[in-house]
Formats: sequence, C-alpha cells, structure tokens
Amino acid sequence: MASRIVMSKLSPTMEEGRVLKWVKQEGDPVESGDVVVEVETDKATMEVEAMGSGVLRKILVQEDATVPTGTTLGVVAAEDEDISAILEESRAVAPATVQATASVQGPATMEPSAPVVPSAAPSPAGDGGRLKASPLAKRMADERGIRLEALRGTGPGGRIIKRDIEAAASAGVPAAAATAPVIDYDIPYERVELSQLRKAIARNLIQSLGPIPHFFLTREIDMGEVLKLRGELNESLAESGAKIGVNDIIVKTAAQALSEHPDVNVSFAGDHIRRFTRVDVGIAVAVRDGLITPVLRDAASKGLRQISAESRELIARARNRKLAPEDYQGATFTISNLGMYGIDEFTAVINPPAATILAVGATQEKPVVVDGAVAIRPRMRVTLSCDHRAVDGAMGAEFLATFAEMLENPLRMVL
Amino acid sequence: MSSQRICRLLRLEGLTDYGEALELQRRLAGARVEGELADDLLILLEHPRVITLGRGARGSNVIESAEALAASGVELHEVERGGDVTYHGPGQLVGYPIIDLRHHNQDLHWYLRQLEEVLLRALASLDISGIRVPGYTGVWVEDRKIASIGVHVTRWVTFHGFALNVCTDLADFDLIVPCGIDAVQMTTVEIESGRASSVDEVADHVARSFAETFGLVMQPVALQKLP
Repeated sequence: MASRIVMSKLSPTMEEGRVLKWVKQEGDPVESGDVVVEVETDKATMEVEAMGSGVLRKILVQEDATVPTGTTLGVVAAEDEDISAILEESRAVAPATVQATASVQGPATMEPSAPVVPSAAPSPAGDGGRLKASPLAKRMADERGIRLEALRGTGPGGRIIKRDIEAAASAGVPAAAATAPVIDYDIPYERVELSQLRKAIARNLIQSLGPIPHFFLTREIDMGEVLKLRGELNESLAESGAKIGVNDIIVKTAAQALSEHPDVNVSFAGDHIRRFTRVDVGIAVAVRDGLITPVLRDAASKGLRQISAESRELIARARNRKLAPEDYQGATFTISNLGMYGIDEFTAVINPPAATILAVGATQEKPVVVDGAVAIRPRMRVTLSCDHRAVDGAMGAEFLATFAEMLENPLRMVL
Repeated sequence: MSSQRICRLLRLEGLTDYGEALELQRRLAGARVEGELADDLLILLEHPRVITLGRGARGSNVIESAEALAASGVELHEVERGGDVTYHGPGQLVGYPIIDLRHHNQDLHWYLRQLEEVLLRALASLDISGIRVPGYTGVWVEDRKIASIGVHVTRWVTFHGFALNVCTDLADFDLIVPCGIDAVQMTTVEIESGRASSVDEVADHVARSFAETFGLVMQPVALQKLP
C-alpha cells in the first residue's frame, strides 16, 4: 500500500512548514516508523516518520522549500507499485502552492514567519529622534535610493533591517509578489524588469480580478486553407502511416506565432517578467477524473510531423496516467481544444506560471462574406486568456492576428 | 499526595562539551520515546565557547572563518535543531528539556511560547521585564536579546532548548550574526539587573519557573541514575 509523507500541522497555528532535510533519498528502503524527512516551523524542527513500509519512491518537495500544511512531500510504496494516481493528485496542488520564498528570495532569514510585522514592536523607527537601522540596511537603502525615514522597521525594537529594505524595494507590487507562483522550470528566459507603469497595472488589476487578472480576446479564423493543407499532407504521408491532425497544425502555428511575439510567451514572476526564449506548448487533455496538460517542448523548432508524433504519444500517456512531472510541468503557453465536443467558443483559465492560454472551439461551416459575396467557409473561433499583469490587450491581439494570418495562409509558416 | 507529574532536574556542574551534551540528549530523548525514561527531564548546564549552526543556518552568519574560530578556541557544530546560528559559552545558562509533548500539548508553537514563558517568569523573579517579539522566537529586553530558543522534536519528545545569557562575555557574539538577524544587540541578566549574577542563582529561578509553567514537580536527579 502506497503511503504519503505529508507536511503535518504541528501546531493549530501552523500554516506552512519548511522541508529541512530528506533523511531518506529516493530509492531508499523505508520501514514504517522510520524518520524520512525533517521539517521546520518557527524555531522548531520535527522528524516526520513513514506510515508504511516500502521504498521512498518519490520526493515531491525539495529541501528548503516552504509549503502549506497538508502538502504531500513524498510517496512511500512497494517497488513495483503504480503510484501515478498519487503523483497526479499531488501535482495538482504542490507546484502551484510552493511559496515564492522557496525559489525567488532564497531561504528568508526568519521564515516561515518572515512577513510578520511585530505588533508589539517596542518603539517604531525614528522614535526618540534617532533612526534605528542596521548598518547593512543603511547601506542597502543608500544603494537603492530608499529613504529610511519613510520605512517602518520590523526588526527588534522597530529597527529597520535588511528585510524592510527588500520589502520597500519591491513595494511596487507587494500583493502580486506574494502570490505569483514562480517555479524554476528548466526553460531558458530573459529577465524583464518591471516599469513603473507595469507595476501599477499589476497592482491595480489584482485588486479587481483575483491574483491572476484574466482578460479574453476572441477571434474567428478561416480554416479552409488549413483543412486543404492537412488533406494534402496526409495524402503525401499516407505511405509512411503518419497522420497530421488539425490540432497539430494549431500547436505548430501557435508556437511559431509566439516566437514572433515573445512578449506573450512570458510568466509574471512578482518583481519581474520572465520572457521565455523557448516555446513549450501545453496541450490540455481530458482524463477520466480531470485534466492534465502534457508539454510539447520547444515546439517552435519542431516540424509538423514531429509535433504530431510527440503529441500523440503524450496524449496517450496522459490518458494512461503514465506522465512524469517533467512531462506536464512548466508550459509557457497552453492550448485547450473543446472543438470535438461541439463547443463554438469558450474561455479557459490560465494555468500558472504561464501568462496565456488559448481556448479553441469547433471548426464549423458558416456563411461569411468573402470578396463582397456570401460564401460557406469552415470557421473556427479561438479565445486567448491573458494574465493582464504581464500581457496587455494590444500585445495579445497582435499575437492572435499573426496566429490567424498564419492559419489562413499556411504557406507563410514555411517562410 | 499530589497527582502532579514529575520533572527530573539534571544540573551538570562546570562546562559540558557541546558534542557530549548532544549525545546525552539524543540518548535520553530516545529513552523517553521508548519509555525507559518515565518522567520529563530538564538538563541545565553551561558550555565552553562554541558556535552551533542550526538547519536554517547559512554560513554567512558566522563572521569569522572556521580556522580563525578554531585558533581562538571556539568550536563549530552543526546540529539538527531549527534556527540559524547560536553562540554558547561560559556565563550562559543552557536548558535542554526532554519532555514528551503527548503528555502536555502536541503543538510545536505552543511549546516554543511555553519556553519563552519559562524565561519571562524567571526574568521577572529577577526584576527584569522581558518581552516576546512576535515573529522572533526568543526573549528580549526592550530591543535587546537575552535568550535564544531552538528545539528539535522526535515522536513528540523534545530536545535542544534555550540559552539565557547570565554573565556571558558579549564580545563573543560578535563572531556571529545571532539568529541570522543582522544588528541584533545581545544582553545579559547581569547588564539588565545592574548587579553581579551567577549562572547557579539564575538556574534556580529557571528550574522553578519551568516546573510552574509546565505544571510539573521538580526532582533533582544525578546523571548516574538516568538510563
């Protein structure tokens, strides 16, 4: 029987804990009652024991990461037991809830209680005429042009310490910084600093629409040329047995359009934007009890045939629950296609840390005006959901325009 | 007869080597888990000069290099408790409670606050008014730190504990960034009370307030009588 190692609630007031040290490593045999991992809350460390015997099959949360209580940290099971169901369940929560402190700021000095402002701070900074600040804080404030007088210290006795300067430096987007799920996937990216305007946009919009302020752009695309192209391609591929689907063409086109619009291939990371220099397209796949998005890596540089073969294989593995976390984590862009269910158009919810997702509806024959006359054309409606902290309407619209133009003139892709 | 539970008090004389004390704690915590040690236990002692790195420690919080420390006779130890860097040395009362939280309260935050309470009460009996600073486990006098806390728990049995500066040479704290908080000013019972204090005298106050705070009856025990 597989058993989970969980970040237990070691106190009613404990909301998150830090993984300090894995005593056992993946592959190590584990007896029920063995200490597997040590976790920390406040200034207390606790040994966590295995509830079952077997092998530590999977470590889901690495050392130094801070996660909410209840998070599955690892799985103990028999050597040949199928643990894909547990892994899948835990991945739904784990990656998105790992606190930003774990990867962005490095281990904070006093985590997990770092953001606490001592309510009983004996005296606020500046009390008694003398400004209390640590030498390090003074130097940092100097370097960053921050006025110490404007700060409220959270150190002992209201002293201004390093943390306060760091907080002030990123104060442009306090709430955004706190909620942005930034996970270091192995995707190359450029760091784009936030302009004052971008900070203000991010700050204002999360007040209005949750931590990821979505907006939606819909466009109808003529699919006549794509269908023609698919027919021709499949005819020429008939002997090899390969088969290109419309969705493969959509994936390829989106990847190509994204590489022309890198501002849309991004992730909002709290105090900066990651502009990925590779396009990793997630493909939403419905499975028996939910949905999973296997990722087609570096889709822009792959040919249609390869995309078709890889996505077929990924989708099959997704349905059979044979995906490893690296197969479904860290898409820079996602495509969700409900066309086969007869959906005309819909809006999809962004899957962090990506900033965009494309909802694809069914291709349907419709009367449209072409060159001044009504014609029956196969049309497809797509809706792009964008994280407004990182992507603006015009940026999204320009990407969609390129995407549509490529689909309507598939030869352009070859250029 | 009172139905109150007993807490054994082990007072070690002189300076106890950090590594030896750690071994002793591990052994006794194991015995407490197995039930060979039937009662809770409080060890009170002093260490020679030593710097310990908790699991949360970053080397950058030790200011002197390991070689420089060794040259000046200060040991460096890595330990399993939470928290960052701590200094121990003569003139500092160190308390290592080995108690089974299943008989008290299975709540690590509660336990940390209880240890603070023990020290606050002991300080009050010495006419020093200590405070807690939320988010900074330990005990403070105004903005000066007088006691540090860091605990480790195995099967709800605790070890490691607290360190209260009585007449510590504060210059040694300059070797580290205490708890990873830069520019923390350390203080001692002697400085705050304005009169000469001994570790022995303060140990009595701490033992009393420990018993009071955890609702236990103190009974001294000799090391040889322990498992």
